Amino acid sequence: MTLLRLNNITRRFPLGSPLYGPRKYLVAVDGVSLDVEMGRTTGIVGESGCGKSTTGRIALGLEPPDSGGVLFQGFPLPRIDSKKWRAQRRQMQLVFQDTLAALDRRMTVSALIAEPLAIHGIGDSASREQRVAELLHGVGLGEDHGRLYPHQLSGGQRQRVVLARALAPKPSLLVCDEPVSALDLSVQAQIVNLLMDLQQELGIGLLFISHDLRVVRHVSDRIVVMYLGRVVEQGRADAIIDQPAHPYTQALVSAMPRLPGGFDHYVALPGEPPSPTDRPCGCPFHPRCPLARDVCRQSLPELLPLGPERQVACHVVRH
Amino acid sequence: MLHKSFQNSAGAALLPAHGIGASATKPAISIAGLRVAFGDVPVLHGVDLAVNKGEALGIVGESGCGKSVTWRAVLGLLPKSAEIGGEARIGDLDLVGARQSVLDRVRGGRIAMIFQDPASALNPVHRIGAQITEALRLHRGLSGAAARAQACCLLDQVGIAAAASRLNAYPHELSGGQNQRVMIAIALAGRPELLIADEPTTALDATVQAQILLLLKDIQRDTGMALVMISHDLAAVAAVCDRACVMYAGQIVETAPKHTLLTAPEHPYTRDLIGAIPPSHGPRMRLTAIAGAPPQRNLPPGCAYAPRCRHAIAVCRTSRPEPRQVAARHSVRCLRLDAGTYQ
Ligand SMILES: Nc1ncnc2c1ncn2[C@@H]1O[C@H](COP(=O)(O)OP(=O)(O)OP(=O)(O)O)[C@@H](O)[C@H]1O
Ligand SMILES: Nc1ncnc2c1ncn2[C@@H]1O[C@H](COP(=O)(O)OP(=O)(O)OP(=O)(O)O)[C@@H](O)[C@H]1O
Ligand code: SF4
Ligand code: SF4
Ligand SMILES: [Mg+2]
Ligand SMILES: [Mg+2]
Repeated sequence: MTLLRLNNITRRFPLGSPLYGPRKYLVAVDGVSLDVEMGRTTGIVGESGCGKSTTGRIALGLEPPDSGGVLFQGFPLPRIDSKKWRAQRRQMQLVFQDTLAALDRRMTVSALIAEPLAIHGIGDSASREQRVAELLHGVGLGEDHGRLYPHQLSGGQRQRVVLARALAPKPSLLVCDEPVSALDLSVQAQIVNLLMDLQQELGIGLLFISHDLRVVRHVSDRIVVMYLGRVVEQGRADAIIDQPAHPYTQALVSAMPRLPGGFDHYVALPGEPPSPTDRPCGCPFHPRCPLARDVCRQSLPELLPLGPERQVACHVVRH
Repeated sequence: MLHKSFQNSAGAALLPAHGIGASATKPAISIAGLRVAFGDVPVLHGVDLAVNKGEALGIVGESGCGKSVTWRAVLGLLPKSAEIGGEARIGDLDLVGARQSVLDRVRGGRIAMIFQDPASALNPVHRIGAQITEALRLHRGLSGAAARAQACCLLDQVGIAAAASRLNAYPHELSGGQNQRVMIAIALAGRPELLIADEPTTALDATVQAQILLLLKDIQRDTGMALVMISHDLAAVAAVCDRACVMYAGQIVETAPKHTLLTAPEHPYTRDLIGAIPPSHGPRMRLTAIAGAPPQRNLPPGCAYAPRCRHAIAVCRTSRPEPRQVAARHSVRCLRLDAGTYQ
């Protein structure tokens, strides 16, 4: 069943001062559609600035789209800060990278985990205490850790606390924005395993955002590849990595060093990633695309089915 | 079963430094017994390492294991509060304890270094052309038109298109990847024998990261300089280097040719590290999660990895393992190797 559906979402930010000349916009997210199924993981990959985090914030209703809609469990998200939205918030939680900023340093770990329970008015103080103990255990922390403050924990332990906090109100959707990017490999593996175990156990839907294709492949059932605010390809995780269809996905996959092969199949892209303030017309990838032809410079390719479970936005690979 | 290691520990100082095999050529740099402490906190516990001329060597390990401190100590870039012991020889010159004026000449000359964040290493108010010609003046005595022509060649060599016109650009006008290319050009200005690249691509996007890594590899091959690549990303290191060292808690725990290290690692930590990398293809196996965290401040009495090691036995908690040569260019610091049963 579809837990979350983004329908043709667009988000733009005004550039510069409104006083001079016609207003220009930076299009951060441009016509993005994607689904997260219950108990499954949809991963978003793409390079810095391609609109992953903005998409995640819109999915949670933390930021309104300029156009398009978000359906959660089949219903449009209520307006931000309405009473209904606050009630729904407990169903949808965010886990992000910067754990020190996410955690109030004056609160103990236990108090931090109990806070969302209090905010959402879940349980009485005795049952909350019990739930905090369960959550600490669930994310692999001991009760001793509950008495510590965030700065007394390692990065991996802090990420566990953030995760426990997000899980406290028993959400059905977690949006994880680069949840392991700041962690060492060994700790990253702990958190990735934990996340996958918890998902199995609790049946949570995950929207997993990362620039690390390796991690995304590992946790995701489906992968959405973004480039300059647009979805260029999406499909089953293995299929996307094993047979990438879009030229950008091919380059991205080839830039992931293999063990032990390294960059054996590396496809060099000419040029530099363009800035979203200066988007090429036609297919946004055309200045770097090895397959580009005239049509690519003129018209924007739509995301269309390529085979049963795959969609690709490219004029050329469709034929 | 373990007696060989114990014998080794007595004569460890006599062991050849990591990587110098029987047929080794004269190394580009040879580090022995390098120790660093900040106040009363020791962070390097005796690093032995030789980089051969023209080779690409990778250094991997988790955050805080001492990868950067090793090379900063060698180049005299640590704050005064650091106590440094041991030696680091290039030719007959020992860099540890060398005078500042000597180090100034070596840095950017015989040994160059590039860092993770190119934007902060470049001077924002100077054009990149001026920054490259300054390096050429300092280390090659070039000036005027000759320096400018050479700067142009260098930009070309690092793959910046329209090099001549780019000389007038300021760092903020270039992308992160282009700035890192400029840093590499500056590093190459002194025609170094050895280039230390400390996490040179961590801040860059995946496709740019691959470009820069392959560029470094090409330059190393073309110029014959030695390259040391420091990274926490074993896969990236393996893609570029011939040989790799794994560091843990201020020591090198395993050194081997790249292929051996990836396909037949011997040290439990190396194995765990490889198991923690999500595979890029094939079935998704559960990742190896290494319990706990590296030791803070003081090392445990035995093997530094013992508190996290799945193969630790009683002796691991009391004796310190010393590096042991298991094959020609393969050395490992683990007490259980002789037992051969920890698999
Ligand atoms: N509040 C904002 N105001 C103006 N521009 C914004 C705002 N938020 C995001 N942007 C711009 O929108 C684009 C997409 O940003 P976003 O943070 O979604 O990218 P991302 O894919 O998450 O990148 P990263 O991998 O670096 O986190 C960027 O160019 C960013 O600068
Ligand atoms: N100037 C300093 N003063 C005190 N301690 C320091 C200083 N520089 C480094 N250290 C400590 O030395 C140890 C090794 O640091 P180093 O920077 O070499 O780690 P690293 O392996 O490069 O890690 P990373 O992957 O995070 O860059 C760390 O515990 C660090 O906290
Ligand atoms: S539409 Fe054209 S430019 Fe865009 S990805 Fe396809 S081939 Fe390349
Ligand atoms: S010496 Fe013992 S604790 Fe250390 S790595 Fe080897 S088996 Fe593990
Ligand atoms: Mg982001
Ligand atoms: Mg470092």
